Amino acid sequence: MSEKTVALINLKEGQKGIIVSILGGHRVTQRLMDMGLTPGTEFKMVRKGRLCPVEISVRGSKLAIGCGVAAKILVKVKE
Amino acid sequence: MKITIALAGNANVGKSVIFNRLTGLHQHIGNWPGKTVERAEGTLFHVDYTIDIIDLPGIYSLSTFSMEELISREYIAKEKPDVVINVIDATNLERNLYFTLQLLELGRPMIIALNQMDLTEKKGMCIDIKKLQKFLKVPIVPVIATQGKGLHELVHETVNLVKKGYKKPKIEYGKEVEEEVWKLTKTLNKVKLDYPKRFLAIKLLEGDEEINKLVKKVDPKILEIVEKHAKDIERIHGHDRFTVIASERYKVANEIVKDCVSIGPCKFKYSDKVHEITTHGFWGYLIMLLSVISLFYVIFTFGNFFSDILVEFLINLKPIFDQYFGIGIASSLAWGVIEGLIAGITIVLPYILPFYVILGLLEDSGYLSRIAFLMDRFMHKIGLHGKAFIPLMLGYGCNVPACLGCRIMETKRERLIAIFVTTLIPCAAVTTVILGLVGKYVGLNWAFSLYVIDLIIVFILGRIAFKVFPGEPTELIMEIHDYRMPHLKTVAKQAWFRIKDFIYIAFPLIIACSFIIKVLDVTNLSESIENLMKPISVDWLGLPIFSGIALIAGIPRKELTLIILAAHGGTTNFGTILTPVQMIVFSLVTMLYIPCIATIAALVKEIGWKKAMFITVFEIVFAIFVGGAAFRLLTL
Repeated sequence: MSEKTVALINLKEGQKGIIVSILGGHRVTQRLMDMGLTPGTEFKMVRKGRLCPVEISVRGSKLAIGCGVAAKILVKVKE
Repeated sequence: MKITIALAGNANVGKSVIFNRLTGLHQHIGNWPGKTVERAEGTLFHVDYTIDIIDLPGIYSLSTFSMEELISREYIAKEKPDVVINVIDATNLERNLYFTLQLLELGRPMIIALNQMDLTEKKGMCIDIKKLQKFLKVPIVPVIATQGKGLHELVHETVNLVKKGYKKPKIEYGKEVEEEVWKLTKTLNKVKLDYPKRFLAIKLLEGDEEINKLVKKVDPKILEIVEKHAKDIERIHGHDRFTVIASERYKVANEIVKDCVSIGPCKFKYSDKVHEITTHGFWGYLIMLLSVISLFYVIFTFGNFFSDILVEFLINLKPIFDQYFGIGIASSLAWGVIEGLIAGITIVLPYILPFYVILGLLEDSGYLSRIAFLMDRFMHKIGLHGKAFIPLMLGYGCNVPACLGCRIMETKRERLIAIFVTTLIPCAAVTTVILGLVGKYVGLNWAFSLYVIDLIIVFILGRIAFKVFPGEPTELIMEIHDYRMPHLKTVAKQAWFRIKDFIYIAFPLIIACSFIIKVLDVTNLSESIENLMKPISVDWLGLPIFSGIALIAGIPRKELTLIILAAHGGTTNFGTILTPVQMIVFSLVTMLYIPCIATIAALVKEIGWKKAMFITVFEIVFAIFVGGAAFRLLTL
């Protein structure tokens, strides 16, 4: 696994990653935590077209995430 | 004996299906006191028990993210239902258990209804219910709500739990957190609040604003101690307090899932393929466009046909009516009331009802959330996110349920913007005017252009509203559920509730206003109104003089503009009394100029007098401006 952290939005379709932290306000953080994007959680970028939002699969279900938020989620890429 | 139970769970887990199955016709739907959140309550008679069932809103957490979350936890803590039934989606155990763990913290007797057991098999997973029960230490009943399986056992277990009593299970989080929680619980010993100590302690550590306020009132010193503990946790874990606690819960949920669920080889899943295509960057939009267009096409051709038959049938009642009541002022006024009723019926049955049924099918199957996904980027341009697309769609049926539908938006500000743009959407009644006038006499392409112009206006005004109302837009964070067969009863119920909004709010107003317009007619006041309107209707908009009263008639219900236009123009062949430009201007003004009186009532209910009046006045002025501009442009 690479040590570099990138924003979730930079992952390519099919790539897997691990949540590191969230650079958002309290509300956004709270919501993402409630939806299961806690630090250390593995996820997969399922869909990332030219258009927003992106779709990830995490904890056995799918989540749509707006690009604004997706840019604020820091992740490690899993090779 | 009387028992009260509350149904709690995530959105889309089949809670409402269970609620409907259990309560049948004994339901009462209202609002939570002082809140614009729906409260569903019903009764079930089981042996010699009268069981009151409250269907709490579908939520993901018991924090303060939305009004729904606050209401749910306050209800459970304060009203103390005898049993909380936590409905969870067996195919999505981890996220659901996160919520279950929070419910357990609230300490009420609890049962888990493990729903959608039929789908676990299809997903190739196997849940060890005994093991799950060992972890959670509460009764678990597997159910398939859509088929009614397991519900009898669920009720049986509920009654059993009340009879035998409940032993609070304690599920422990990580050591450091548990230590802090334990210390805090001791500090809280003298604090008497509705919530259990453990719940308070955890919420305080989390930094929950509402709980902080409550505790501060009792003893502000406690907050200082909390701050110290929370700082400790943040230091040890290296994340903010909310993240730490959420991680702890998810860790437990994850461990449970790892231990209780075994995944077999996954079969090819049809619904996954459909999902892929319907959210595709090109095909997805194409399918969306086609389905929306065909939806409108089907609804309005069918509606037109059906409504003609209905109108003919109901108008035939007029001679019978005259026979009984004679012809005079009083009977003419009475007929005004009946006309209002007829107009309401001929809009609801042919247009709004089928529209909402089909929309409900799309919603329940999961397609609407795919549209929300696709539309997210566009909605962001007006400061909303993808979910706002759903009330906008409802608006094409009737603005009243659409305004109420804006409740799905998370913040007040988004609700306001969504409601504002929703009132600009041409409802079924406006569509009958556009099709009956522009579509019939000027051409369908012109009618279609009006819709496109409307969307452009929605976009521009939405964008301005977005700039005017300060605040950061909430981003889309939405779970996408697997496709499923829509459950007909749920769809029917949903459609009925939306139409009920129309019937309760709009019908009385429509009838009252039809009466008033008849009075104006009978007393010849309409002529003076026409003269009063002349500067606007004739001079600015370039419309014939008799259109003034028609535009006034649109306030109670917009399709009335056409009827009055015919009555005062002396013919239903609009081609002989209006020029094409006049038709376009007239339709444009009708489309934009005011939320009809029923919508205004809905606005007042949702956002208060001041904002409702502001939107109303703004839209009148705006429509007159746009109409005049269009008139000048088209006659260049």
